[in-house]
Amino acid sequence: MTTKTQLTAASLAGALATALALVATNASAGPVAPRPSMDKCYGVAMKGQNDCAAGAGTTCAGTSKADYQRNRWKYVAKGTCESITTPEGQGSLSSS
Amino acid sequence: MPTRSPTLEGEFARALRDPDLPLPGGVIAHTSLRPQKRFAVYRNNVMVGLIGALEARFPATKRIVGADFFTASARIFASAHPPHSPLMMTYGDAFPDFLATFEPAAELPYLADVARLEAARTRAYHAADARPLEPAALAGVEPEALAGLRFVLHPSVEIVASAFPVVAIWAMNGGESEFAELTDWRGEDALISRPMLDVEVRRMPAGARTFLQALGAGQPLGAAAEAALASSPEFDLTINLAALLGGGLAIAVINEALEDS
Repeated sequence: MTTKTQLTAASLAGALATALALVATNASAGPVAPRPSMDKCYGVAMKGQNDCAAGAGTTCAGTSKADYQRNRWKYVAKGTCESITTPEGQGSLSSS
Repeated sequence: MPTRSPTLEGEFARALRDPDLPLPGGVIAHTSLRPQKRFAVYRNNVMVGLIGALEARFPATKRIVGADFFTASARIFASAHPPHSPLMMTYGDAFPDFLATFEPAAELPYLADVARLEAARTRAYHAADARPLEPAALAGVEPEALAGLRFVLHPSVEIVASAFPVVAIWAMNGGESEFAELTDWRGEDALISRPMLDVEVRRMPAGARTFLQALGAGQPLGAAAEAALASSPEFDLTINLAALLGGGLAIAVINEALEDS
């Protein structure tokens, strides 16, 4: 006696028939039809990443070693992590 | 030149990543024989460009930790992981693994999985186009042949398995849903796909990951369903078949019984 569950042809056929009926009647289960989307803009924006004038911080103003310091930042997450409730409580990344 | 070029390029590349290194030999400008500042501007722009590429690819990750934390993390990553391709849309495949071992982010154990989901979304977006299998293609299959059917999955399909509610956290921080308290803190498997033009992210039901991975590995339908049932007694074959066919996750079906006869 094996613990492996054997699926009969009949149960497979039943599952498939129900699934096909679900797909046919439930339009929302299908792929979203083509439409302009945020992802398109995302794709376009990626092209400009290396552009010198891509946005704040990317100007060609003289920036030297002083602007490139790697370890002088505070280990504090100021994003939305504090609004995420975990079993251990609120998320936070205070450096304390 | 051919003998000198690799050395020059190597020196130039190293100096781009390490501001403590001297100006690479041979770099001159018409205003200066040793254009330290000009090279520093160039070096900074390279770094800012790489950070910008990560920001564009990981917006929810950035939102979770905030701009300062993200920029600083991205800078440390970029210093150690120069791009291997000029295509910036592929930059950062290793960023999630970096975050997983990045000590300042250790208090956010779910962060790396959110980044994995975001990386998978970009790959799905740029995956090859393929027309999803029409559900009707299965309507006429003999019941005896069903267990032996094999499926070719859509090239955009990826799964991110997580011990955390990664779909919910990503959705809230990716602008897909409102912020709300996560009362049901349990692991979620994320399914990422792009059957048509839009990248879709779904939370996978119990056993679905095993089912889809088995199909993706070329196992026949019967064996995949049995493996999924073994992994989770709650596995529902009907719902999973509906997702496979209705969600455009498969692009072809192979009926070997038919081909042999």
